[in-house]
Amino acid sequence: MSQELIDAITDMREEDALKITNELLDAGTDPLSILDDCKQSMDIIGNRFEKGEAFIPELILAGEMMTAISDVIKPRLSESSGDEKLGKVVIGTVEGDIHDIAKDIVAFMLDINGFEVTDLGVDVPPAKFVEAVQQTGAQVVGLSGFLTLAIDPMKETVTALKDADLNVKTMIGGGQIDEQVRVYTGADAYGRDAMAAVALATKWIGDAENEPA
Amino acid sequence: MRIIGEKINGTRKRVARAIAERDVEYIKALAVSQTEAGSYWLDVNAGTLPEKEPADLIWLIENIQSVVDTPLSLDSANPAALEIAIQAVNKTPLINSISGEPERLEKILPLVAEYNCDVIALAMDDKKIPATVEERMAIIDKVIAATRAAGVPDDRVYVDPLVMTIATANQSAVIACDTIRAIHEKYPQVHFTMGLSNISFGLPARKQINRGLLILAMQAGLDSAILDPLDRDMQAAILTTRLLLGQDNYCLDYVRASRKGLFEA
Repeated sequence: MSQELIDAITDMREEDALKITNELLDAGTDPLSILDDCKQSMDIIGNRFEKGEAFIPELILAGEMMTAISDVIKPRLSESSGDEKLGKVVIGTVEGDIHDIAKDIVAFMLDINGFEVTDLGVDVPPAKFVEAVQQTGAQVVGLSGFLTLAIDPMKETVTALKDADLNVKTMIGGGQIDEQVRVYTGADAYGRDAMAAVALATKWIGDAENEPA
Repeated sequence: MRIIGEKINGTRKRVARAIAERDVEYIKALAVSQTEAGSYWLDVNAGTLPEKEPADLIWLIENIQSVVDTPLSLDSANPAALEIAIQAVNKTPLINSISGEPERLEKILPLVAEYNCDVIALAMDDKKIPATVEERMAIIDKVIAATRAAGVPDDRVYVDPLVMTIATANQSAVIACDTIRAIHEKYPQVHFTMGLSNISFGLPARKQINRGLLILAMQAGLDSAILDPLDRDMQAAILTTRLLLGQDNYCLDYVRASRKGLFEA
């Protein structure tokens, strides 16, 4: 573990972080250990964000640093190692709504917590969610919407997923979301923030893995 | 500088509760306090599911009008709710809003024309929020062609140039202000408005940022805004900026406000 690397990342010092990454690799450090430092750094930043001590631009910069470091490391990873993903999540803002910042944060948090995230973007029709689940085999679908007029499309999407006989859990989030809305839409759960999304995805995929075949 | 008082908005939890519980006194108090603070319009947004919206909107309007005669800004994307609301108001309202979205032009613009309303026009359409000044101008060209064709004079249109969150788009304020300048040059009779708080989403000390945007936008030509009229710092910023832009003859508004204690801590 390199405390120097973790500090550089959590202090948002991108140039230092890349310099240290290269130094570590040149010194023969296992690339997986560097990835692990990255994951630790992301946990720290994610935590700070949830507590209101770090802010959205820092999440974005952290994401960019992760990409930059991954690009340096990937060529050095052997084939057998690499991302063991916990599970697959499809996420998107529902049809008629284009609010994306909170959704992007949730996608980011899910990603750094080990999920393979397919982000469909905004204004996504129900059919596109269905298609994405069919194509990726995702176990969890996250529906985001800020406006009250997103609530009916959320319901339509949940219904479309059920009608397509897909074995997925759905979670909703955004503005105006509460238990009443959840029941109305037919979703399995709602979450108040990104960490709730991570907790729900972790629980559902964990439960699914523990079910007898 | 015309203020649209933003507080009666059902997307805020406390107001949503007041609407659900039919808390008449809470709504009336918001109407009175915002009016006394100098609002030119009071924005009214029921924030509820489509089936409940018309009834909630009417309830809000009736209670507001029972205590103040401030014109209302009807904030809804639902043409049916809007039409019912327009018929319930005592004074010609501001319609919040139309945009380049074909459905809004088709369904809401006729109401604006028929009832002689003022209207807020958003510089976006159904594709996404345009990133550049030119793209926003292209949409406003389309919207103003439509408002003119419908017989709505330019000076009843309040263009919202759109403010993206600066935390994720570093040039958002620059683009918003440049958009105002460009549209003002092409359509000198058109007014402008803005919901300021979007700029600061996700950053600390949001009020600082919102206020800074107000000042920059006023210089670009902003002449109305959706904000909290009870925010004394905002009111102070408006007065100060008007003063500095040479819009306050003999500095009278500024001096009077100072005598009333607006600038005291």
